Parts: sequence; C-alpha cells; structure tokens
Amino acid sequence: MTGRLLSGINPALAFGLVVLVVWPMAFDTPYGLRLFALAGIYAIFVMGYQFVFGHAGALSLCHGTFFGLGAYFTGILGAKFGWGFPATFAASALAPVVLAAIVAAPVLRLESHYFALATLGIAQVMLLVAIKWEAVTGGANGIAGVPPIVLFGMTLARGWPTVLIVWGLVAALGLAARAVLGGLYGHALHVMRENPTAAMSLGLDVARLRFETFLLSALYAGLAGALYVHTIRVISPEALEFHAMVACLTMTVVGGRTRLAGAILGAVLLIHLPEWFRFLEHYYLIAYGLVLLATIIVAPNGLLGLVEDARRRLAPEAPPPAPFAMPLPAAARPTVPTGAILSLDGVGKRFGGLQALDAVSFDVRPGEILGLIGPNGSGKTTLVNCITGIYTPDGGGIRIAGTDVGGMPAHEIARLGVARTFQNLNLVDEMSALDNVAIARGAARHLALGTQTGATAMALARAEAMGLLEAVGAAEVAMRPCGGLAYGTKRRIEIARALALQPTLLLLDEPAAGLNESEQADLAQRLKALAGSGLTLVVIEHNMPFLLPLATRLVCLDHGQKIAEGSPRDVARNAKVVEAYLGPQEAAEVVA
Amino acid sequence: MLTLQLLANGLALGAAYALCALGFVLVLNATGAVNFTQGDMVMAGGFAAIATAAMLAPLWPGAVPGLVVLPVVTAGMAVLGVIFSLFAYFPLKSRPPVATIISTIALGIVFQNAANAIWGPEPRAAPPLLDASLVRFGELAIPKQSLAVIVVAAALIAGQHLLFSRTPLGRKMRATAQDRTMAAAIGIDVNAMIALTFALATALAGAAGALLSNTFFVTPSDGTNYIVKAYIAVTIGGWGSIAGAVAGALLIALFEVIFPALPLIVPALFGSDALGWLFSQTAASILLYAVVLAILFFRPQGLFGELVQRRA
Amino acid sequence: MPVRTARLPVVALAAACAFAAAGPVKAQDVNVPILVPITGFLSIEGTSQRNGALLAVKNAPAGLKITAEVADTGVAPEVAVNALERALGRGKVQAVAASMLGTQMLAMLPVALENKVPLVTVSGTAQITEMNNPYVFRFFPGDDVTKVAHVKYAVEELGKKRVALIYQTTAYGQSGRTFILKNLEKMGLKPVFEEALETSVRDMSPVLGKAKAANPDVVLLHLHGPSTGLVIKQAAAMNLGLPIVAGSAMHQPHTAHLMEPAELKGVCAETSASPVSGGSPELDGFLAAYRKEFNAEPDGFALGQYDAVSMVLAAAAKGAKTAADVQKALATTTYKGLAMTYKSDGKGNMAHSAMIICYDGASRIPKIVKRYENITGVL
Repeated sequence: MTGRLLSGINPALAFGLVVLVVWPMAFDTPYGLRLFALAGIYAIFVMGYQFVFGHAGALSLCHGTFFGLGAYFTGILGAKFGWGFPATFAASALAPVVLAAIVAAPVLRLESHYFALATLGIAQVMLLVAIKWEAVTGGANGIAGVPPIVLFGMTLARGWPTVLIVWGLVAALGLAARAVLGGLYGHALHVMRENPTAAMSLGLDVARLRFETFLLSALYAGLAGALYVHTIRVISPEALEFHAMVACLTMTVVGGRTRLAGAILGAVLLIHLPEWFRFLEHYYLIAYGLVLLATIIVAPNGLLGLVEDARRRLAPEAPPPAPFAMPLPAAARPTVPTGAILSLDGVGKRFGGLQALDAVSFDVRPGEILGLIGPNGSGKTTLVNCITGIYTPDGGGIRIAGTDVGGMPAHEIARLGVARTFQNLNLVDEMSALDNVAIARGAARHLALGTQTGATAMALARAEAMGLLEAVGAAEVAMRPCGGLAYGTKRRIEIARALALQPTLLLLDEPAAGLNESEQADLAQRLKALAGSGLTLVVIEHNMPFLLPLATRLVCLDHGQKIAEGSPRDVARNAKVVEAYLGPQEAAEVVA
Repeated sequence: MLTLQLLANGLALGAAYALCALGFVLVLNATGAVNFTQGDMVMAGGFAAIATAAMLAPLWPGAVPGLVVLPVVTAGMAVLGVIFSLFAYFPLKSRPPVATIISTIALGIVFQNAANAIWGPEPRAAPPLLDASLVRFGELAIPKQSLAVIVVAAALIAGQHLLFSRTPLGRKMRATAQDRTMAAAIGIDVNAMIALTFALATALAGAAGALLSNTFFVTPSDGTNYIVKAYIAVTIGGWGSIAGAVAGALLIALFEVIFPALPLIVPALFGSDALGWLFSQTAASILLYAVVLAILFFRPQGLFGELVQRRA
Repeated sequence: MPVRTARLPVVALAAACAFAAAGPVKAQDVNVPILVPITGFLSIEGTSQRNGALLAVKNAPAGLKITAEVADTGVAPEVAVNALERALGRGKVQAVAASMLGTQMLAMLPVALENKVPLVTVSGTAQITEMNNPYVFRFFPGDDVTKVAHVKYAVEELGKKRVALIYQTTAYGQSGRTFILKNLEKMGLKPVFEEALETSVRDMSPVLGKAKAANPDVVLLHLHGPSTGLVIKQAAAMNLGLPIVAGSAMHQPHTAHLMEPAELKGVCAETSASPVSGGSPELDGFLAAYRKEFNAEPDGFALGQYDAVSMVLAAAAKGAKTAADVQKALATTTYKGLAMTYKSDGKGNMAHSAMIICYDGASRIPKIVKRYENITGVL
C-alpha cells in the first residue's frame, strides 16, 4: 500500500519542491530573497516561452517585447495614472495578448528563420517606439516611482511577501499550463512541432494551434513583466532590449524546452549564476557564457533532461499498462452525390522549371482500391500532396465527395474524411505508438485550446486508439516509443493513425515498402477487409506482385502526366507503361 | 553630386556589411546553423587590426598601413574561425539548429566581454588601408579609405566566388553545402570542409572589421548591430543565396544612407516638420524593419530567392 | 597595446592594509562598495567611475580601514539593484559609489532610502535629484547645470542664433536635449534643425547634410563618445565650416584620440572638469597617479567620482562612523575637491559649475576657455 502511494510521487519532483522551499529560507537576506523573487518572475516568463518555442517549436524573438510591454503598462498606468494593482495587472496581461493577436496575422504563417527575423523586427520597432515616444514612455530615461504591489489595502513589502506572491503565481500559472498541456492538446503540439505535415494531415489546425500558443506565451510574458516592474520600481527601455529575450531563451534551453520544472530550474539557475560569478569582476560574464556553452553541449534536452535520463538509468521504469480497447463511435459517412468520391480534373503543379503534374484527370469511385503507379519522380506523391492540401495545385479542380477543395487548407480536407500515410513514415518517434494514434482521435474531435484537454478525453482517446492498434495487429507495442519499432510495425501504426480519423478516403503512399512477403500478404488482407467495409483506398505502389491482385483499377503517371488508366491487367500490359518503367529500348525487347 | 557622395558612403558601408553577411550565409549553407557570433567576429577583426598594428609598429617606420595589417588579421581570424567551430558547432552538429543558435550566442557573450576585458570599452580606430587623405573628383571628396574598402571587399567577394566556382577545394566546399550526406558518400571530408567554411566566414567578418574600424571605430558591443544587418540581408536576399546576401547587404546600407538624406536629394521634401520626422534616422530604422516584414509577408522566399517547398 | 589587468581590488585592499598597519590608533572600518557599469554600453564611463573611486580609496586619509569592492551593474536596472542588495548584505556600508546610468540610479534609490545608505554618483540624469530622496548625492553637474554653460557659450560667447542640435536616442542624449531646449527657449531661441541618432548610426553624412541645409550658424552635439567622434570627423571631411560645441562626451580623452588633432580644430565642449588639461598642482598629481595606476587618461567622470569618494572618506576620517553620519556630512558640509568645491543644494546636487573647453587643432589636449560658476539650473 505504501509502495503504491510512493510510486505515485516523482522523487525528482519531490526533491525539487523541497529545494524550492528550503532555498529562500537558506538565503534569507534581502539580497537572497530579491534574487529568488526575480527567479520566480523569470520562471513565469520562461513558462510562457515554452508554449511558443518549446511546444509549438517556433523561435519567437519578440517574447521579450511582450514582457517589456507588460512592464510598461504597469509602469505607466501605475506611476502616471495611479491605477491600482488589480487594474494594472489585468492591463499588463491583456496588452501583450492584443499585440500578439495583431502581429500574428503577418508573422505566424512564416517558417522558422523568417519567423525569427520577423519577430526580431517587431521587437526592434517596439524598442524604438519606447525610446522615441518620450511623452508617454519617458523615453530612454523611462519612468521612476512605479508603486509596489498593493493588495486589499496592504502594501506588499520586499522580501518574503514578494517572494510568496511571486512564487504563488508561479505555482498557479504552472498548474494552469499543466492543465492546458497535460492532455491531448500538449500531445497535438508535440506532433505539430516534430512534423507539421503529419499534423495537418490529421486534421490539426496548425495555424490555430500556433496562434493559441503565441497568445498564451504573450499572456505569461505580460504577467511576468508586470511583476518585474513592481519589484524594480522603474521602467526603462532596457526591459525591451534583446538581452532580456536572450536571457529567456537561454533559460528555456538550459532548463528544458517543454517541461515546467525545466522553466523553474533554468530561471533559478541563470538568475543566480552571474551573481555567483561576481567575484570574477569584469570576467564574470565570460564565465557565464562558457557555462552556458558547456550546458548546451552536455545537456541537449536541458538540465532537466539530464536529470530525467539519469533517473531512468538508475531506476528504469516499466511502461504503464496498456489501456482497455474501445471501439470507435459510429461515424456518419457523408453521402456521395456524384458517384465519385474523388474527382480530379486537369490538376497541374509546377516547381520552378519542373512540371511535376500536368493536367491529371481521373475519378475514384466509392469502395474501390485504386492503384497509382509510375516510375520514380513521375508525380505520384506530389499528386497525393495536392489532394490532401499540402500543396496547392496551380491548375485544375479537385473535388472530394462533391466538394471543391481547391485552396482549402490541409486540416480542413482531412476533416472532410481524407486520411493518408506517408512514404517516409511521419510518426513522432519519442511518443508511444498508442499516443501517436490517440492524437488522431483527439484531432477527429476538432481539438483546440479548451477542448479535449481533460484527463477523461485523453483516457477515451487512448482506449479508442488501443482498439485501432489491435485492429492492425500492433497492440503488443502500444506503450513503446515509435522510434525503436520495426519498419513494418510502424507502417501498421501509421495506418491505424489514419483510420483513427474514420476517413471515407484513405491514401496510402508505398505501404508495402520495406515489408517482407508475409507482412505484405497480411497487409493486403487487411486493406481488402477495409475496402470491404466501405472505405475507398488509393494505393501508391511500385511493388506489382503486391498491387496487381489488390487493386481494382490502376492509374499510371509518367513525367506528371496520366499515361494509362484501366484494369490492372490492361494497364500492366500497356506499352506506354512498360516503356515508362523500363525505358524504350528494354521495353522493345520485352515486347519482342 | 551629393547623391554620388552618399552613394560612395553607402557602398563602403555596404561592402563591409556584405562581407559579414557572406560569411553568415556560407556557414548557414554548410551547416544549417545560424551563427550569431558572426557580428562579434566583425568586432574582433576591428580589435585584431588595432592589436596587429601595435605589434608591427616597431618593425615599421612611421604608421603601419592597414594594407599590411589586413592579411595578418584575415589569416588570424581564419584560425580563430576553426577554433570557434570546434566549440560552437562540432559538438552540436547532430542537434537541432537552435542548439547552435544558443552556442553562438553564448560565445558571443564570451567574445564581447573578453574584448571589454582585454582592450577596454573605449572606441578605437584601426589604421587606414593606405592613408587618411581624401580623393577629390571635382567637388566630390571621398575618403581614400572608403574607396579602398570598396575595392578590397569587392576583391574578397570575387575571390570567394572564384574559390567556389573554379577550384577543386571550393567545389568540395560547395558540394558539402548542398548535401552533406551526398558529399560524404562521394568521399569528401565533410568535417574538414565545414571547418574550412568557418575559417572563410570568420576571415571575411574579420576583414570587414579591419576595414570598418578605421572609419567607423570599434567598441566591444558593436557585434549586435552587424549580426542584425547580416540576418536581414540574408533574409531579404533569399535564405541561403550567396549572391542574394551580398545584394541584400548593399541594399540595406544604401537604404540606411540614402533614405535619411532624401530631403537633400529631393529638396521639395524639405521644410515641413512632419516630413522632417519621417526622414529621421529613427524613422529610417523603423521603416527598414517594416520593409523587411513586408518582404517576408509578400515574398517569403526573399527578394531574389525562389520558393522552395518542403517535401512531404 | 596595454593590456588591462584586474589588479585594482588588490590595490585597494593593499592600501587599506598599509594604512591599518601604519595607523597608531585603532583603524576605523569604512565600507564603500563601488557599483558601476564596467560591462555594456556605458562601461567607458563606468570604468572611469571605478578608477576614480579606487584612486580615492588609495589616497584616503590615514586611519581608515577601507573595503571597496567593485561590482558590475551592467545595463539593466535589476543588475544594479541586485548588486546594491548584495553589497548591503555584506557588512555595514557607509556609502555607495553608484552607477552613472540614470535608470539604474532611479531603481537603486528606493532601496537606498529603505536602508538609509547614501549613494554618491556622477550621473547627469536630472530626475535622480528630483525624487525627494535624501540619500542621493551627485558630484557632477546635472544637465540642468551643464546645459546652461553649453547654450550660453554658443549664444553669448560665440554670438550664434541659428542652432542645429544633434543628440543621441539614449537617456544621456534625451535628458541633455531637454535642457538645451529649455535654455534656448529662455533666450528666445529655437533650434533650426534637430535630429536624434541611435548609437548604431555609422554614416553621418545624411544628418550633417540636412543640418547644413537648414543653414545654422552653430552645431550643438549631445552624443556619446563614438558618435561625437564620427560626427566631428565626417564634418571635417566634408568641410562643414561651422563651429561645433559638443556635449561632455567630447572631453573624454579617448574621444579626442579617435581624431587627428587637425580635425578637432575649432571644436569646443562642455564638461565639469578636464583633468588632462591640468591647472593646479593637486590636479597634476591626480593626473600622474591615475596614469600610473590605470594606464589610461582620466576624464571628468573619474575626477568627479574621485572627489565624491574622497568626500565620503574625509567625513569618515573626521568621525562619521555610520551611513547616517556620512549622509549628514554630505548633506550639510562643504568640500573642496580637485574639480571644484562641492556643497549640496538640499536635493543632493553637489556640483554647480561647468566649463567650456576648446581644441586648438594642434593637440588633443583641450584648453579651458570659460568657466561658469554657481549655476542654478533652469528646471
């Protein structure tokens, strides 16, 4: 009984909490308490950054601006207009969120380095505005005389009262972040970060997830900024300068990008580090830089990752037991008005000088297994990417169950009942097989912030995912991380993940690649059974012995053009097809 | 006349920006890493030039000309580049790119504070390449240094281009930048090529520092400005494009010099106070970022880049 | 190239020990932490502060056992406050030699008030003595004082009426500009041209061209050292042909060293003191000691901070044992320092005179051309 009770407590976490309580008691001087309060403020700042940088994987460089904006709102409203703490605190929370919402439209759609530069640009502009708008911001001199926190008529003294309220907020905001990220939502962000294409194909609205995390990060930064200015009592452009942003970024990387305990660890450590090195006089920042460098080299997942690795090595944990399987709820299949579930009409796609697809037209009828063949580089995968909305075709029309999907974002196409697997496997390696599939169940229920976040939703999704894994014969690896699994098993898990969306059309990109003959036979069996249950399949494949008995019809592409369509037997004998595969000379020999 | 003068100033500044951006993009292509220390390397080159001139002073009658200092600095910075890569890049080469961003930021902190500890915070000036005189073309008076900067930078950029297009070593470096796995498969020592790329990039930044610090001085905290300019140059030039980086750097410098001077070039703009503010230096800085945001919004592939889509 | 070393704290302690050994009576403990920016964009001025303070400790009156630990305040206000709290926690502090940076002073002031410890500084930011805080003492004329000299010299001595003003977008620049405008206004003048420069601006031809086009008869600068150097150098190259009266950053010897003496011809600047110009045997002694100790040229900030710490130590030698004693001495007594005679105006402003220095085009050592004593600033 005691054993079970103790096993529910993470010893590292318990140790960390004890340290956090003992720390301020051990350094109980105004100096020690000020540093500890500052560390708490930065912990909130870093927790916010984890949303956008850690979880959404976007290197935002305007997070310091949100912090500074929160600080400026409290500074200006408190010092110049005499607003009370509750009002300034609310304003400091709101202002960065509003700014984030405004700049989100242009910047959030940018990728990696462009996003980083765009956010850096925003930060620089805000800094210049703060310096130049002297009438409001006090210019480069800033504004002095910011009031301390006054709650219920009581002025919060420096030292312990400040420490308690700051760390109380760290706890509250930490729990809030955990509630948001703990369940399916956090897992969905993980998929998005590791593999945005897979996330979109699961029907996850990547743009919306990025937007939500960006706003959440701004909220936390604004609150941290407000607390900061209350403890420092002046506001000046230094709060908006790049070094505040760099401090936050390094804390996140040193502590750990996605773990709340990492945010606290990084903040506490990096606030104290330069202070510990003060005896080095003007060499102390050199030491700080070197320690930072050493940390990033030694601890790739942050110091928390290092601690967790050590714990796993010292006391390896048995994976938790697999949940009981549950069947999927009955899906309402859309009726197909025209008879074709997928209809392509002159689809074209060009990359620079390369015509990847050239006026491709064909229909896919309900319940059939359409084989899509063609030599390497003939445009098969490009076509699947056009159908699923990963690429926008340059011309022609694509209709799914009668709906024109031209220009529709990938997640909306997925929600129309189109699922796919990938040629090069797009599972999240460090996530368990079960959770890879469970995310798709969450996505099928239109996952967004505030929906599907509870523990019940997670349990339900996992139970349903277990049922899907059983159906594809991968139940025994459900609790293992995908990264270490055999190729064939991963293929089956990807199919289970696609089936989790309860699609009407399933596109499989080389499902038999890397499978041995018995695995191929097993797969063919399962695909036939799926088609038998009413699902429509499009199978890209090179492997003719696998495809010919399976497909009801074949389409062959070459150099982006459809060169043949018909029964497997006819297409396989088509001279153009043989020529495309073998080259004209060898084809002639075969025919002869 | 005035326009020509401004053009010359802008080109001299842009030539040095271009050397910094060029190094930035070479490392980016070879490693996929954003090197945030590149700006600090410009600063280091400036101080290295001053230190070298002081060291050579006993060997030289009169003032040591920058033309003698420059090759020494460039060679020294190349060595520094290799050492730098051993700490900032190689231990992290199999990690996500953000790891290198942090490691280069960390080393940037080290560089800035080491410069502050060794040489002190005062601004300093390196010796001019030839001398401090002015060259006059009629009314136009251009410092000889500005012309020398333009010529030397152009020569270095051309040299880099020749190295990459005409020599076996350069082709190996280029192959490494295009596809590391493929380069390794055909027997290229990829690590050596990457170390060489760091050497080249750092040497170019160091040359920029040695060239700039005569006219514009050098202080330990100068790096930030240069790295931001290089980053912008590479982005508007098209992420990964070498020619784009050089063109982007020249455009930024010309913008910085020409835009605030527009009321002089177009006197009709002069006079009203509102317009005066519009052409202030601060407005120019804000506008530069606004233009960059607009470019990113309307042409995410950069001004000269081609849209590359991620393979699914 | 002289290489800086970190021998200074050792010097301070050694000096303290020497005094302790020599003193016939039991040495009195004095703790004066030196909290100044020795890294970041104000580290030039901060290093001058540190050197001045350490030299004052070295030349302290006999009978004092002095602790003077240096701590960096960087650029951010919280680093300064952390340093202050740390210093206050490490033994009884009589006074603190505190940062040049106005925002850091403003952040440290409430902490100083709560702990009742005086801060002695050379920060020019006007606001710091306007906070009704009895624990701040400024041993450098504030912008309200120096800008009187700056503007009066340009308008009254040079007889100029059409002023072009170029200032920096920093606390130093914006505060200076405010008081230049106020003083001009008092004389019924408005600048014919005004522009602010970020410290990253390198090419000055646009701003100089625009200034010239506004047809001024004098250019006032209020820029940091590097920008001052760039403007003067490029003005000389383009034959601007206008007198330049620069802000106090010009008087810092390393600013002059950025230029050829010829480029400096006709340039003047305001400052509180120009130690390199000499003027009295005491000042020459200071100059020699400073050069020997730090292998550098002192500026007015170093001298101001030297005088500030010297006044604190003099008070301690006369029996001021606690921070309260020192605060009282600073607030009520008159002290004859090397740069000038200091006396508080009741708000903590100790320095009330400024001077104008000019360069003759042959040397980088400026000559003092005009002193302005007992200035009561415009506010």
